[in-house]
Amino acid sequence: MEFSFYEFRYAPLSIQIAGIFIVVAIVCTLLAYFSILVGRYRAYRQSERLKKLHPIIDEQLMEHILLNEELASDVPADQVQLPLESFQQPVFEKKWARQALIDRLIHYRNNVRGSMGEQLRNLYIQLDLDKDSLKKMKSRKWERKVQGLAEMSNMNMSIADVTILPLTNSNNRELRAAARHAYIKLSKNEPFKFFDVVTEPLLLWDQVELFKIISTTEHIAIPNFAQWITYSSNKSIVSFCLKLVVHYNQLSAVPAVIRLLDTKDHYVRADAINCLGKMKVEDVEEKLVHMYNSQPLNCRLEILKALGRISSGKYVDFLRQEFLHATDFEVRKHAAKSLINNKWAAKGLIQELIDTATAENKLILKHSMNPLIKF
Amino acid sequence: MDNIWETLGRIYENGVFIYGTVLLVTYALLAIFSMISVRAYAKRDNVDQLNTLLSSPLAPGITVLAPAFNEGLTIIFNVRSLLTLNYPRYEIIIVNDGSTDNSLEQMIEEFQLVPVDFAYNAKIQTKPVRKIYKSSNPAYAKLMVIDKVNGKSKADAVNAGINAAAYPHFVCTDVDCILDKNTLLELIKPVMQEEKKRVIATGATLRIANSCEFDQGVMTRMRPPRQLLPRFQEVEYIRAFVLGKMGWTLLNCVPNVSGGLGLFDKEIAIRSGGYDHSSFGEDMELMTRMCRYAHDNKIEYAIRYIPKTLCWTEAPVTVKIFNRQRTRWARGLAQLMYAHFGMFLNPRYGRMGMIIFPYNFFFELLAPIIEFTGIIYYIVMGIFGLINWPTALILLLFVYTYSVMITTIAILWDQLSFKYYRTWKEVAFLCLTPFMEFFLYHPLIVIFALRGYWYFLTGKKSTWGNMQRRGFQQTPKPAATAAAAK
Repeated sequence: MEFSFYEFRYAPLSIQIAGIFIVVAIVCTLLAYFSILVGRYRAYRQSERLKKLHPIIDEQLMEHILLNEELASDVPADQVQLPLESFQQPVFEKKWARQALIDRLIHYRNNVRGSMGEQLRNLYIQLDLDKDSLKKMKSRKWERKVQGLAEMSNMNMSIADVTILPLTNSNNRELRAAARHAYIKLSKNEPFKFFDVVTEPLLLWDQVELFKIISTTEHIAIPNFAQWITYSSNKSIVSFCLKLVVHYNQLSAVPAVIRLLDTKDHYVRADAINCLGKMKVEDVEEKLVHMYNSQPLNCRLEILKALGRISSGKYVDFLRQEFLHATDFEVRKHAAKSLINNKWAAKGLIQELIDTATAENKLILKHSMNPLIKF
Repeated sequence: MDNIWETLGRIYENGVFIYGTVLLVTYALLAIFSMISVRAYAKRDNVDQLNTLLSSPLAPGITVLAPAFNEGLTIIFNVRSLLTLNYPRYEIIIVNDGSTDNSLEQMIEEFQLVPVDFAYNAKIQTKPVRKIYKSSNPAYAKLMVIDKVNGKSKADAVNAGINAAAYPHFVCTDVDCILDKNTLLELIKPVMQEEKKRVIATGATLRIANSCEFDQGVMTRMRPPRQLLPRFQEVEYIRAFVLGKMGWTLLNCVPNVSGGLGLFDKEIAIRSGGYDHSSFGEDMELMTRMCRYAHDNKIEYAIRYIPKTLCWTEAPVTVKIFNRQRTRWARGLAQLMYAHFGMFLNPRYGRMGMIIFPYNFFFELLAPIIEFTGIIYYIVMGIFGLINWPTALILLLFVYTYSVMITTIAILWDQLSFKYYRTWKEVAFLCLTPFMEFFLYHPLIVIFALRGYWYFLTGKKSTWGNMQRRGFQQTPKPAATAAAAK
């Protein structure tokens, strides 16, 4: 051993470095094996624990809440006794078990309504599980904050605006999204107030999540989205509000949407045209046709689609003109589709076009008429 | 004269030493970067998000493109697998690239396909499309089959699919690949979550399907391959995707989105000219051209990778087929470097020109050549008795232990985030593989890569051909098992 060390000490530098790295590589490899083993063991232990704990929680919840006859007959939750002692077992003093209990309560609360849901919420409060969630919200780690926010909002626990509003503009995307969801769900007065304070663009993902929260939250007061369509300087908020206008078929917002046709941003303009088409606003057809020639391609395609959706039959000649004379393939295709949508007013015309059109145009018409082809 | 040889030898040795050191440091950095990316992904990963998107009317549409050439053995099984994908707005386009087997007839019969008058607009030039089919059964309304003249390349087939695609994003996969049911939800997420850049492509981890169990096109049990050659490939895929691509994604320097599974921005792909049918590495070539287009047009772009395994592919089990596959890949890399050499160390192309291209050139293209010359140098030095064997063995041991460590770390990242294998024995089985990789698998890779370069230099004719599928292992049905037992 002494001889080897002596040799190593006087070996060239590259060999010395290589020797050190061999040791480092072997140690790292062994550590990696150890970490894999520990990781798997922990996951196994956790799943075994939960396998034992879940039936206990489920049994108690079934017995005292989910199969409770009084709650089933909608006796108010505060008049039914809470089975607190059943959950005051030593196991629930442990953090992981309390977390499992919170998760289970949320799981059941998402699946029941009325008094049962209210009783699950009462249990969450009486067992001081809300304090666990609040503690998470105060954590420095964003993922803990998100978890706390989600638990509070799932349990319909109110959070002060001063705590939550700043989070709706957080730099962290996940935290920002969770705060916005919680705000819409929990804010008693103005659930959409954060639309006024949002400075960053709403990502498409944010829009998907917000859309779900807004459209599925019960007892939410839907405002007139025209206020943001008219006044918001955040284009993504405007675009999102247009989608909500369509979803809620909010006719009172139509004048504000029509005003958007004059906006300089052609993406927003295309969204506005799309919205008007989907809401079948017949009065706007003339304006759309009038502005058509000055529009970029995305807006022109939206105008053609809108004419098809509105299907008033008034602009069949315009559609025919575009179908026959446009140079862009997509324009011709959308003109043909809209013509087919207006076929109640253009039956003879469509037959005439089929008989006289070029081979390519005939193919486009047949494509548009085929019920098996959607786009 | 002796002095000249001695000096040349010293220059070579020092050059290789520097090259090796930079490569090892790069791997170490990638290991750290990938750890950061994988952890960040695991923290953000949330099943509820997928459910939200699944039920959303705002989800962007996606076209799934799968080219098929003589895939009759597995085509029905694979199309069924694609039809089970979870996503609110998607279509599937199978491009039958002039198969000479009964793939098309099988699909027509199984999915009740009828020819339709489809207004096909050839934005990218391809071989002629013969017919386009849609299903008359509403259950298969998402499915479209394009039958075209064989274009002698996967690229030509995919381009035909892109021309017919209705949605703004397309997922390109091979028809022999099995996708996770949430693939589309997972791949579109980075596109929708990116704050400032336009995500032009997203990729995910691929794994080897050979020993996994499937039921009606759905993966039911994941196992490391039992056979040695596919198992080496499994380990290689984990290293390349979980460690390599995830490391690069942190720097927004992903060099390539695998042809097996990738989601692309259709507009950018079309404007970049689509897949190059003359390329043998068409996936990497398209990615390079899309990046080039984005740079030329001042589009702030991003390419993202996710560490989750979303795709399983059948790996070659014989050295002959493996040779064919790797020769093709190497030839594609050489073609790519030659065609886009103007980007090499060109600051105009940002990270693509300053990081990705030099990395690919030095450590992907040149690596087999340097290794080969190193072996020749060793042999010559050995013949002349000029090797200090203890020193040589220490250096060899160093490279060996380091390569085992890097692969083990990749397996560790994969294991800590996603526990795909059910038993610890399977993980142990996989962990043993890197010890043999250095001696048995790596030399094959070097030889096949050199063969690919040779074909590139000599312009040997070759096609994308048939991988000779064996089909996937089906989960035994209880009744069938009982009957077999009797």
